[in-house]
Amino acid sequence: MIYRESGQFKTSYATDQAIFPILQDRIALAILLLVAFVGAPMFASDYFLTTILIPFLVFSVAALGLNILTGYCGQLSLGTGGFMACGAFAAYKIATAFPDLNIVFVFLLAGGAAALVGVVFGLPSLRIKGFYLAVATLAAQFFLIWLFTKVPWFVNYSPSGVISAPPRAVFGFFVTGIEATSHAKYIFCLAFVALLALVAKNLVRGRVGRAWMAIRDMDIAAEIIGIRPLHTKLLAFAVSSFYCGVAGALWAFIYTSSVEALAFDINRSFQILFMIIIGGLGSILGSFMGAAFIVMLPILLNAGPTALGTPLSTSTIAHLELMTFGSLIIFFLVVEPHGLARLWQIGKEKLRLWPFPH
Amino acid sequence: MSRDAPRPIGDTLLKVEDVSLGFGGVRALSGVSFDIRKGEIRAIIGPNGAGKSSMLNCINGFYQPSEGRITYKGKARGAMRPHEAARDGIARTFQNIALFRGMSTLDNIMTGRMLKMNRGFFWQCLHWGPAQSEEIEHREAVERVIDFLEIQAIRKVPVGRLPYGLQKRVELGRALAAEPELLLLDEPMAGMNLEEKEDMCRFILDVNEQFGTTIALIEHDMGVVMDISDRVVVLEYGRKIADGDPEAVKADPKVIDAYLGTGHG
Repeated sequence: MIYRESGQFKTSYATDQAIFPILQDRIALAILLLVAFVGAPMFASDYFLTTILIPFLVFSVAALGLNILTGYCGQLSLGTGGFMACGAFAAYKIATAFPDLNIVFVFLLAGGAAALVGVVFGLPSLRIKGFYLAVATLAAQFFLIWLFTKVPWFVNYSPSGVISAPPRAVFGFFVTGIEATSHAKYIFCLAFVALLALVAKNLVRGRVGRAWMAIRDMDIAAEIIGIRPLHTKLLAFAVSSFYCGVAGALWAFIYTSSVEALAFDINRSFQILFMIIIGGLGSILGSFMGAAFIVMLPILLNAGPTALGTPLSTSTIAHLELMTFGSLIIFFLVVEPHGLARLWQIGKEKLRLWPFPH
Repeated sequence: MSRDAPRPIGDTLLKVEDVSLGFGGVRALSGVSFDIRKGEIRAIIGPNGAGKSSMLNCINGFYQPSEGRITYKGKARGAMRPHEAARDGIARTFQNIALFRGMSTLDNIMTGRMLKMNRGFFWQCLHWGPAQSEEIEHREAVERVIDFLEIQAIRKVPVGRLPYGLQKRVELGRALAAEPELLLLDEPMAGMNLEEKEDMCRFILDVNEQFGTTIALIEHDMGVVMDISDRVVVLEYGRKIADGDPEAVKADPKVIDAYLGTGHG
């Protein structure tokens, strides 16, 4: 890196264990937060906010959730879309049943509901591992979507099955519904994401995260040093589904303003899985990188050829997108299973010594 | 290298009575009985496939003996899971290294403190206040283990990058961090060179002397076993063929026949 930690001595374990032990990193984070909270709403257009930044934030939460389960605890899940749908529909039911309840609590409760569902579908994880667990979570995915499509109670007996998110305000600003401005939505989303990311980081660097990683790396040894496997795996399922549930609620209420089960089909689950594979399994930063990558790629594929003077048809772009994802997934699985986050880390380590070879 | 100062060897800590274990038609252990006294170093030796590792697996609850009884701290144990054995103060290392490869040395040893950390989930989310002070308190304990094992330099290195001998040492560190009463070591010196073996012997003896930890170890290097252990139990084909202090075991004709194999001349 152009900066290094020389001269910054740690004199207590508290400073040594800080999330960003290097001063320059803390400054960079402060600048990033300032840009995100102040700069972006001031200068970004409505289009940029609603089609790039808000979906990026929503996907980041879902990717964080799946990364906790798959990247940190090692339990492969294809039920992400189902758990997101749980959050979306729970938020809708809670928001319509208690119109006076603040939307923040609605989202948190919706996450809690998704967490409960996640725990139920996580129960098989004690007995089955790897591919077989993935198939069990696939069952969750299909069952949940079927449930939300078939049972009219979830959509308050609306005949079309597609419902719009009710308008709700925070501090007098509408953040959901048609009156909400894209700036208010963006700030609300960003605040949620920043807090959830901080909590995720805190969890994975403490006792809970170490238990998850121990189960991931060597479950027998983990049990022998006193970690209870079922308890630990179910906690990972609960926390992961909470994040996915909140992501689903944000998706339905803030991003698309409509609650429909088909938005959370199996393709959504795969999309989130691709994010954490490309971004980096077992990395908080990787969740954000993967989400950014997958949100940006179609836009770049669209804008790139147009800028070069050879606009492509929409269907070609859609195919190109799939091809790029496919080859990238293979590339990352073979070459760098820890994704963009690991490449970033390797780059930093190399630059630390650069230009010297050792 | 016999030790000068007599160490306090206490009462029986663990008693194994008539333990048998079978997998389908294979009898891994049949009617094995021995005891481990508090504060001693007890070696379990025997040829390959004699049932040594199975014995350790029974002691820490990984296998359930099909017959027989294991009494620990004066209480007969029923069926139990490994994490319950850990709660009772039994820690172990493995023949094939079983470290958490994705984590640093520090984090690996911190997992050894898992059972002693009990701040709730809410505080864990915040990583602040009680959770942070608990983290620091246990970090101090872990740093003592790191100093003891002389692995300060590799504190933050992911264990997957470490050489074999150091990985073994980190694994010992993880077991020590739990402050066990009974430490089970499954071939702690397998595959090491002479220097690494000497280091490991020193650590084992120091653990036993400084912390008073009872140690049960499986080892193939006879020189090491005879030097450091107080009593030796010899298994062959799942049966106990000898039990006693190293000198007596070394002289036992059955042991020479079965294992050492060289003393006929």
